[in-house]
Amino acid sequence: MRRILVVEDSAATRSFVRSALEDGGHLGPFDIVEATSGFDALRLLPRGPYDLVITDINMPDINGLELVQFIRKSDRHRSTALIIISTQSSEKDRARGLSLGADDYLAKPLDPEMLLSTVQRLLSNRPAAG
Amino acid sequence: MADLLARGRNDRHRGIKVRGPRVEYLAFRLGADTYAVPIGEVREILKLPPVTEVPRAPEEIVGVVSVRGLLVTVISLRARLRLQATESSRKGRILLAMGAQDEVIGLYVDEVLQVYRLAESEIEVAASVLGGRLGDYIVGIGRPDGALLTLLDLRPILGRSEPVARDAT
Amino acid sequence: MADMGDKAREEFFSEAHEIIEGLSRDLLQLDGSRGKGPVDPELVNNIFRAVHTLKGLAGLFGAARMSALSHELENVLDDLRLGKIELTQLALDLLFRGITIYGRILAVEKGTRADPLSDIDEFLRELAELSESQSDEAPVSGAFYELDPGLLAVLTEYEEHRLRTNIEQGQSLFRLRVRFELATIDAALSSLKTKAKPHGEIITYLPTGEGAEADSIELDILMASKASLDVLRSLLGGEQAQIEEVPRRSRAAKDPVLVPSRPGSHAPPDAMGFPSAHPPSAPPRPKAVAQRPGALPKGGSTHAVAEVSLRSVTQTVRVDIRKLDLLMNIVGELSIVRNAIGRLTESVRKSPELREIGMELYRLHRGFERQLADLQSGILEVRMVPLGQLFDKLARVVRQISREADKDVNLVITGAETEVDKLIVEELSDPLMHMIRNAIDHAIEARIERERVGKPAVGTIALNAFQKASHVVIEVEDDGKGIDETKLVSAAVKRGLLGQDEVTELVHREVLNLVFIPGLSTKSDVGELSGRGVGMDVVKTNIGKLGGIIDIYSERGIGTKFTVTLPITLAIISALIVQIEGRTFAVPLASVQEAIWLDPAALRRVEGQELMTLRGATLPLCRMNELFGLTSAVKAKLRPYAVVVSVGARRLGLVVDELIGQQDIVIKPLGPSLKKVKGFAGATELGDQRVALVLDAPALIEEAFLGGSDAAVGASYG
Repeated sequence: MRRILVVEDSAATRSFVRSALEDGGHLGPFDIVEATSGFDALRLLPRGPYDLVITDINMPDINGLELVQFIRKSDRHRSTALIIISTQSSEKDRARGLSLGADDYLAKPLDPEMLLSTVQRLLSNRPAAG
Repeated sequence: MADLLARGRNDRHRGIKVRGPRVEYLAFRLGADTYAVPIGEVREILKLPPVTEVPRAPEEIVGVVSVRGLLVTVISLRARLRLQATESSRKGRILLAMGAQDEVIGLYVDEVLQVYRLAESEIEVAASVLGGRLGDYIVGIGRPDGALLTLLDLRPILGRSEPVARDAT
Repeated sequence: MADMGDKAREEFFSEAHEIIEGLSRDLLQLDGSRGKGPVDPELVNNIFRAVHTLKGLAGLFGAARMSALSHELENVLDDLRLGKIELTQLALDLLFRGITIYGRILAVEKGTRADPLSDIDEFLRELAELSESQSDEAPVSGAFYELDPGLLAVLTEYEEHRLRTNIEQGQSLFRLRVRFELATIDAALSSLKTKAKPHGEIITYLPTGEGAEADSIELDILMASKASLDVLRSLLGGEQAQIEEVPRRSRAAKDPVLVPSRPGSHAPPDAMGFPSAHPPSAPPRPKAVAQRPGALPKGGSTHAVAEVSLRSVTQTVRVDIRKLDLLMNIVGELSIVRNAIGRLTESVRKSPELREIGMELYRLHRGFERQLADLQSGILEVRMVPLGQLFDKLARVVRQISREADKDVNLVITGAETEVDKLIVEELSDPLMHMIRNAIDHAIEARIERERVGKPAVGTIALNAFQKASHVVIEVEDDGKGIDETKLVSAAVKRGLLGQDEVTELVHREVLNLVFIPGLSTKSDVGELSGRGVGMDVVKTNIGKLGGIIDIYSERGIGTKFTVTLPITLAIISALIVQIEGRTFAVPLASVQEAIWLDPAALRRVEGQELMTLRGATLPLCRMNELFGLTSAVKAKLRPYAVVVSVGARRLGLVVDELIGQQDIVIKPLGPSLKKVKGFAGATELGDQRVALVLDAPALIEEAFLGGSDAAVGASYG
């Protein structure tokens, strides 16, 4: 079963992402792990491997960009699929995230269909990590 | 282009002995006749891309084409040399050459044949062969292996805006 | 509110409540601290984030009013935390009111209260007004620091702002390297924060990726503080933390100075660590250009080394303009690809089986479009230079010529900071000089003459430049004697350029435009008569070559004004794509007034010229297929279109068969071999190598009016 790490400081958003992705569509149900902050993500990452990490950019302390960089630098998670979530207007943050190695971005407010199809697209060409 | 060069080489290897330094000429057909120009004057050979006609342009101008983003005017070489009109052929090609004022010009020819490596001995220079005054664009006649090529110098052809004068044949 | 499961509803309300309560507390704290020293940026940021989260929540659950309220509050808070507006009593009041309204909205959504919430719109307006009152702070210069561009690349916009602000306030920067056990990280972090807070501000935490053990993590913490390294070491140091000061870059004589820019302020685009290709004389532009993030640090060991340099911030680069042309060409090619992708996307979207792919394609296309537009503007901005350079040169010319002509002339310049493509500036030099010379030599009267008619002894020539939509307008105005129309007309008649009978039908503007006709430019004839001497036709041609037009207005005894309108960029223009006898052509939109259906019943012929009436004015028509000698096997269209083009005061209806659509095109010049062919401004590639010729509207109009034997000059008005 594919594992997705969702890093997001708002509980409701985490809940929302979970409900949008849980069924998984044709890729079967996903195992969704929630991290409540950048630090939490750092703590949870060693419990991987994950097929996909979805992270918000604007989080305090360790922001999403730093997480992206960290993930891409680590041998273990270098090829994990990576989606960043940003607000509509922060193009700069988005550009940075993509150039740091994120595979795709989604803008808030999140559209559940778009979210699911983006996830499916990123994961369908990869074998499961675990 | 590669296979044209190969063919040229093959011809040579058929055992005909020639002497002297060689110049490579690209031969092509205009109507029923064969002409050739020094290969160095041809930058590129193109199959026919879509050609856009230019209304009210002189008759010799076939139109404009786009070559990887560069706009090139295509001129009918036959028309510029004031030869008889012929039907257009599916084998028509455009030779890209350098015109006046650094402009890349496309010359439409009816068919591209092959590259000949001509030694001096195979070339009869114009004045001696045809006698009399001629347009200064004819270099001479080449006769490799029995073929008959009218050798042209493109520079005067392209440097002028008017078709060149020519004695009637 | 959207229909959700009960559990989700519960979560929504409980999280919202929690956030709002936190907001309340923070606001109170903010209120209490106002006036007692600097505002705590962390507090403001927390409040901002809380509202931001509420906005996200509201969006997810379809609570529209809450969403709208959060949006406005977020703008205000963003402005506050980025320093664009001050924390005034008004601002605080509005924030408090906002919280109350949140409470009301939640109650309504829950169903525990009936409240029409009718005052919300008014409140939102007040918030919007506060946000709009942002001030543009002048950029402050300061020393800069040796910072890893890799670090800068992972700062969010907000963190960047905090970094800049701290630098401006003269804080020093420190890098703390700490290692925490993951199990206890929350407590350890919290303790570090508490210890650090009184002494400075933590900008960001960056995991270094070092530390092989999976149960601990190493972080680089960037902190700004006024304290010294030793003090910090004693407070925060220990086995767990190594502290280094980020060294200041030594100020060599030639080092450019860091000019931190604020989004929205008038400063060069934010270039911290990113070299900018801005020419030094260009004035600052408010729009931020898309940034290239700094390169990732090499290998894994960069952080171990204390010194990595921040390349100087406002670096300028000299660029050969041909390289820019090359880049613009590539952008042009990409535009063609973008258009083709757009068409493909449309077809795919129409097919039901490909719906998902269509959506995806659409999204990608939109992204591509945006990025390409940004790239294009970015490159164009690099080519732009202010007209001031040219105006300075002209000022010198004025001084020289007025001395020669023994006249007192004052040159007044406005809009010198208006920017134009560098090539345009170079081409404008001659025409403008021409006009000014003519003005001084012929238009401006001698001192005695001026005094006699009551004008100030010193003549004035005004040069104005300003931007209008996608054009730049340059006006050359003088207060000289103006153009004597009668003499101009008789000179034209004398030279056979005008039939005697056509004279009466000429309107004021038509007469003035005679000035541009070659053949009226002989100095002896006309120099004294028209107030203009040699070469106005040349001026007009040169301006036409730049894709611009020139207009003239003059009043006898008062003065003359020339208005030159130029496109800002040469390369990419908007065009109307049309078909004539099955062949595709492009008409630059700048010349197009409108496109209309031709009603055959409304047409008539006057002296061989086909005309129609358009809103009361006569519009001459030009059948393009006849003009171009094009025919096709298809029967002539009964109701073709007319594309009405105008240049200055003249209009002409170009009759075409089909209107295909509007498109941005890259216009490329036709080669010298086609120079003699009339009516084309160039050609463009429409995709899959097909070339369409671009019509030259001014040339076609001129041909219709002055060229063809049947063209009736006087037949067009308005």
